[in-house]
Amino acid sequence: MSPRLLALWLKEIIALSRDRHGLLALFIMPTIFILVMTMALRDAFTPGTTIDAPYVVVDLDQSAHSQSLIRRLGKTASFQRVGISDDADATRHGIASGRQALALVLPKGFGERLLTPSGADGQPTEPMQLLVDPTLNPALQLAFRNQVMAALGALRADELTQRAGKLFGLPTIPGAKAEKDWPDEIVSIAVRNDANVRPPSSVQQNVPAWLIFAMFFVVIPVSSIFITERQQGTLQRLRSMGVPFRLILAGKLVPFCVVNQLQALLMVMVGMFVVPLFGSEALEMPATLPQLANWCAVSAAVSLAAVAWALLIASIARTSEQATVVGGVGNILMGAIGGIMVPKFVMPAGMQTLAGLSPMAWALDGFHMVMLRHGSFADLLPSLGKLLVFAILALTAAVWLNQRALATRS
Amino acid sequence: MLSIDSLSYRYTAATAPALDGISLTIPATGIYGLLGPNGAGKTTLISLIAGLLNLSTGHIGLDGQPLAAARAARPRAIALVPQDYAFYPMLTTQENLRFFGGTLGLTRSALDEQVAHVIAFARLEQVVGKRAEQLSGGLRRRLNLAIGLLGKPQLLLLDEPTVGVDPQSRHFLLESIAALPAAGTTVVYTSHYMEEVEAICQRIAIIDQGRLLAEGTLEDILHSPLPLLEIHLDAPLPPPLADRYSAQAIGNRKYRRELPSAADLPRVLDELASHGCPVRDLSFGQHNLEQVFMRLTNRSLRD
Repeated sequence: MSPRLLALWLKEIIALSRDRHGLLALFIMPTIFILVMTMALRDAFTPGTTIDAPYVVVDLDQSAHSQSLIRRLGKTASFQRVGISDDADATRHGIASGRQALALVLPKGFGERLLTPSGADGQPTEPMQLLVDPTLNPALQLAFRNQVMAALGALRADELTQRAGKLFGLPTIPGAKAEKDWPDEIVSIAVRNDANVRPPSSVQQNVPAWLIFAMFFVVIPVSSIFITERQQGTLQRLRSMGVPFRLILAGKLVPFCVVNQLQALLMVMVGMFVVPLFGSEALEMPATLPQLANWCAVSAAVSLAAVAWALLIASIARTSEQATVVGGVGNILMGAIGGIMVPKFVMPAGMQTLAGLSPMAWALDGFHMVMLRHGSFADLLPSLGKLLVFAILALTAAVWLNQRALATRS
Repeated sequence: MLSIDSLSYRYTAATAPALDGISLTIPATGIYGLLGPNGAGKTTLISLIAGLLNLSTGHIGLDGQPLAAARAARPRAIALVPQDYAFYPMLTTQENLRFFGGTLGLTRSALDEQVAHVIAFARLEQVVGKRAEQLSGGLRRRLNLAIGLLGKPQLLLLDEPTVGVDPQSRHFLLESIAALPAAGTTVVYTSHYMEEVEAICQRIAIIDQGRLLAEGTLEDILHSPLPLLEIHLDAPLPPPLADRYSAQAIGNRKYRRELPSAADLPRVLDELASHGCPVRDLSFGQHNLEQVFMRLTNRSLRD
């Protein structure tokens, strides 16, 4: 190993370890982002999870059938039941005061009239009532109504089956419950290459997203050191000592790529071990060695792109303040349009096309390809290719800018 | 040992050349002063010797070899100590020295030895663990110089090495630099502080607007080929006398005239006294660098 390169690496590491703002931007900021955003968006990513619209059932019937319906509703778990009451007026007040958004009133005689709805036998049947908070999203009202109808349908089918069985002398298991565990939920299946598993959780979306964002923030320490070197005349001194510019670049690329990998390790650890402490599910990393290698390939490509981008910004900016503003704003813009801050799938089509221009979106596509679709290395090539081309272009531009600056001086 | 022949240099988009046909010979083991006002071309000349600028017109040779070949053969032969504090403020004195030693390709034992040597030379022992940003101006200058000495250079280029330091540090720096030729290092010293150059340089070149105005030993330069009298009076010189003397006003009640012989001096003083113009001070024959420079360019060195 060249002692010159070792000296350059050691210098970058010592300088970074003393750059408090840089360390904050690289390690603390993304950790906080991952925790906050994973919590905030916990339910936004996973279909079928709990909806924050509590309901109460007013059971005026108190029959086996009414209780069965309540249990069936409870099993669907999409809405949260906050209680069972027998006082319709108190429940009405509860909605008015905002304690719950919905209340289902099961009338007296519900069980008896289960199989003779709508006065099929000539007797009037009292309908079920749904009390709703008028500010509740109409789509949620409809969803709850549909869930009740589905549970009611299943209850009727069970009752009918049981009575028909008795009527026709069909064999029954003694002591068997009338209530069957119907597969009454529709499970969402994410389509992947290898196996079919549940779709990504918030943590699986957020960890790679904020990791990419954090990696691009190497622009702060890289430019801070590079601009100091330029302003203090240290770059000139190194040139006069015969240190070629490519060695200076290599002296920066390698340590900051290592720093990026440390960030990746930290963010993955946060996703796996810290996020669960806050009640969210843990990050799932690829289980097989080839997939893990693919993950590392994406991480390395993102890192190259990020450090090259940082060197370009450092070459354009005249002062550290300029680099912080240009680099910081540039990163935030890339993150905003690239699906880091707002997931790409919630964007309208036009914005999704625009997102395709952001290197952070290419990086996120790469991570999603590995983590969610379990894609092969060939599937990653479009993302890796774009990131590497971006890195090469940014580095070439940085070298050209530095040579032009020298030529202007000379 | 360093020969510069017909060296010209023009920066891109500049209207006038920064250096215009400079030829110099800088002998080994001595301190060579390069004097000139700001913008004279000193830094350009230093940058060309240090390899920071590419040679376009003219020739520079080190020990008979073209500069590029000499640098390729002995990369540590020439060291530059720039005017800026060209080191890392967030690194300690020791870390800076080890870093620059490392970039010179020094290996572990040689690195330890050289770092210890330059720390002792620049008397930085008390601040080895202190970050460079916390050092005083004088200590920063000493660190800047120490870095330049890490590669045991044959030729050390010092660009304004005492700017912004207190008198004690300046004295220490000058003493240290004066000791370098004895250790086998030739020094090219650029400055616009004439006292410093007069104190430590054996040979001097004065350049202005990219041209070489004078070159030689300090004595040669200071010796005025044309005996000039400079006088500072208590009252303005009366016009009749001024006409007769062909005196040139060079400042507030300061005048300059040619005086062929020192024997004429008593007569001039008598005449001035009789016209009510007592002399406050005067100089004759031997000049200081400022006066030489004024005579050559009609400008001050510190312009």
